[in-house]
Amino acid sequence: MTATAEDVIEMCSVRVGGTLFGVPIMRILEILGAPATQPVPLAPSYIGGLVHYRGEILTTVSLRSLLGMPAHSQPPDMLVFEGADGYFGLLVDAVGEVMTVSPREFEANPSTLDDHRKALFAGTYKLNDGLLVMLDPARFDPMQLSQ
Amino acid sequence: MTREFLIESQEGLDRMERCLTELEERPQDGELLADIFRSVHTIKGTTGFLGYSRLEALSHAGENLLGKLRDGGLLATADIISALLDLMDGLRAILRSIEAAGDEGHGDDHAIIERLCALQQTEIAPVESGQTLGEVVGHSSETRSAKRAAQIEKTSLLAHEPAAGQPRPQTQSSAADSTLRVDIDLLNQMMNLVGELVLTRNQILQANGADTGFTPLARRLDMVTADLRETVMKARMQPVSHVFSKFPRLVRDLSQQLDKRVRLQMEGQGTELDKSLLEAIKDPLTHSVRNSIDHGIKAPHVREAAGKAPEGLLTLRASQEGSHVIVEVIDDGGGIRVERIRDKAIERKLITAQKAAQLKDRELLQLIFLPGFSTAERVTNVSGRGVGMDVVRTNVEKIGGKVEIDSRPGKGTTLRLRIPLTLAIIPALIVRSGKLDFALPQGALFELVHLTAEQARTQIEWLENAPLYRLRGRLLPLVFLSKLLEQTEDAKAGAGCYIAVLNADGRRFGLLVDGLADPEEIVVKPLSAVLKKIGLFSGATVMGNGKMALILDPGAIAARAAVGLSADEEDVQEDATNLGAVDAEFLIVVIGAKHAALPLGDILRIERIPRSKVERIGWTPVLRFDSTVLPLEDSAGILDQQSDDRQSDSGAEVTVVVCRDGERYVGIAVSQVLDVASGSPLAEAGTDAIAAGVTLLRERVTAVVNLSRFPALPAPPAESIAIASMEMAG
Repeated sequence: MTATAEDVIEMCSVRVGGTLFGVPIMRILEILGAPATQPVPLAPSYIGGLVHYRGEILTTVSLRSLLGMPAHSQPPDMLVFEGADGYFGLLVDAVGEVMTVSPREFEANPSTLDDHRKALFAGTYKLNDGLLVMLDPARFDPMQLSQ
Repeated sequence: MTREFLIESQEGLDRMERCLTELEERPQDGELLADIFRSVHTIKGTTGFLGYSRLEALSHAGENLLGKLRDGGLLATADIISALLDLMDGLRAILRSIEAAGDEGHGDDHAIIERLCALQQTEIAPVESGQTLGEVVGHSSETRSAKRAAQIEKTSLLAHEPAAGQPRPQTQSSAADSTLRVDIDLLNQMMNLVGELVLTRNQILQANGADTGFTPLARRLDMVTADLRETVMKARMQPVSHVFSKFPRLVRDLSQQLDKRVRLQMEGQGTELDKSLLEAIKDPLTHSVRNSIDHGIKAPHVREAAGKAPEGLLTLRASQEGSHVIVEVIDDGGGIRVERIRDKAIERKLITAQKAAQLKDRELLQLIFLPGFSTAERVTNVSGRGVGMDVVRTNVEKIGGKVEIDSRPGKGTTLRLRIPLTLAIIPALIVRSGKLDFALPQGALFELVHLTAEQARTQIEWLENAPLYRLRGRLLPLVFLSKLLEQTEDAKAGAGCYIAVLNADGRRFGLLVDGLADPEEIVVKPLSAVLKKIGLFSGATVMGNGKMALILDPGAIAARAAVGLSADEEDVQEDATNLGAVDAEFLIVVIGAKHAALPLGDILRIERIPRSKVERIGWTPVLRFDSTVLPLEDSAGILDQQSDDRQSDSGAEVTVVVCRDGERYVGIAVSQVLDVASGSPLAEAGTDAIAAGVTLLRERVTAVVNLSRFPALPAPPAESIAIASMEMAG
């Protein structure tokens, strides 16, 4: 049986710590490898700093800090999304390959997950060799997070 | 389609407004009439096509009247012009309604249409040849206000009716304001530059690091970018006439309402300013013009009693001065009485009586910009100005501008707005705190003080937990940038630091930073809402080295740092002392054996001049610079003395301090220049009157040199040189 276009979702896999996350590829404007970030004093802890992107200065959100993990020694990669207040960046440890998942493999967040993570994660896809945590870019909009 | 129609119509009406006010002065100008006719005709034509029946009926009535005017069948009297202005208001109101609600609204236009038709029937007695039409208008102007008042009653309801039914849109004619007409040549130029940019990019993409052609490529990229930037800036520039053009109508209406006669004169309308800045100064300017007519210029009979022409003169002047545009609102009205300002400020507890006594008139005038100086009830009990002047200042300062006021009682008032040419690119100093770079706008920066590690340890004093630094004998509150930003990493021990002396909203303070980098022209980029909330940064920028820097907001830093330091009242006093400090500074010099003080504000330069250059007209020593002659004041005989003492040394020099006394310049020969210090006034014992001619400098009573005491030159410069040479010959 052949899967139709609606049946599969293309996900860009990203890694933070030991967890594999997936972001719908259609939502990503651009992926930047290890951009230079400029820290912002007094900013909320989840802000990963500023990144120069095509003449604009983007505010970035660090997924690592959001998940309460210590800073990583390697410079993070960045995904660019369009948010309510213009573009913003999401900093992740590393961007992996693009994979296709099927909605049939999707499950909502398990009830044992803490509330903070439940608010961030959109659900999970079961892969053959592990889990892929689905991320919804809208939830990482700095505007959204600041509320 | 509708949007384009709206923009076009607004532009047409703007043009019509300009023409109508001009028409009042030149009622027979055929070109003006044709222009107005065209505006209305265009609206009529398009509305019919779009199916706006109200607009069509209204503009049709106007067109008929205008047609007659244009063909010379009618004369543009004040009545007709008033009616046409009302027609314009009516059209505007409907356009607003279309923009806001999408339909024409439900107003009744019959009265105005009837009035327009009735005016068409009026037969004007043929004007005798030789009599100018201006006189006709002039005659009617006396009765105009009465008629106008009656008309207002009749028509104001109509004119505003369409807007009354629905909430008035916040920004008037937003469709027209959000678009910009750009010269097609400029656009072509931009396109060419972008094309070149693309080519250069392609070449750079193909070049690899080892390529020798890389440097010229980089240079070309630099050139193209600079050109492109300049062209885009140029496209954003608009002549100030776009804002000025609103004023003839405003002045006309206001002066009629208030029964005053005001002539508006506009200068420098071609001066260009960035579009967004132009929008920003519209309100402050309107406010200032309103103020000038309301409070500055008095009624005709009052003016005549004061020996002035009954017609007041209001001048709007724009000019460019370096990277700033100066916009002035000048009236020849009653001026501001400084005493009233002072009394009011004391009454409102904005300043203490002692402080007020120390302030000069000019400084007292600036008090009207203090928030809280003006309140609604003030308008009625004080005839002076100051209604919401703090709002004017806030608005202008928001765009990086400055406001100054100058007033002479009985002569008039000048309000000066100093606006930066463009907002997007500002000169800034890059400062370092911890490991980060920050941009500090140069506009607020007054001076930089370097402290070595040793000096930093000994010269920064602490009052409880407030750090202070003695800057030329005055205490300057310090703010540690790294502490303010809660930066944890310590500055390298043994390294010095810098104090950037800033003046933000009249508050002077020193910002302590770890290091300085070069000054740079930075391109301001907005910050996201989340980071704006921090409140200390006004934006961010990418520097020449590719790194980013946050732009510090001096005003916000002052506000943040002062929270724990001083209560509100002290803040205002701090303001006032600073105002005082600016001009109460003196240069201490030794003349003969005595110390004397020269007001720093009057000093132009200090020169060392070879004694042989001093010439004399009679007994007055003078210095000649090209074709000007400078009288020298030498009461202590320094010029002679030195020549006696050092006969052998023919190259002996004298020190001359060149000062300004009103318009003229005078030189003062001094033995030695000591220092700059700020003086405090002394009161005469018993009378408490401020003693003239002396000041307290460094705990020492010092005489202030009175510049106006020096005699004028016997004759104008050119002749005096002739006299000098004749005397020498004789």
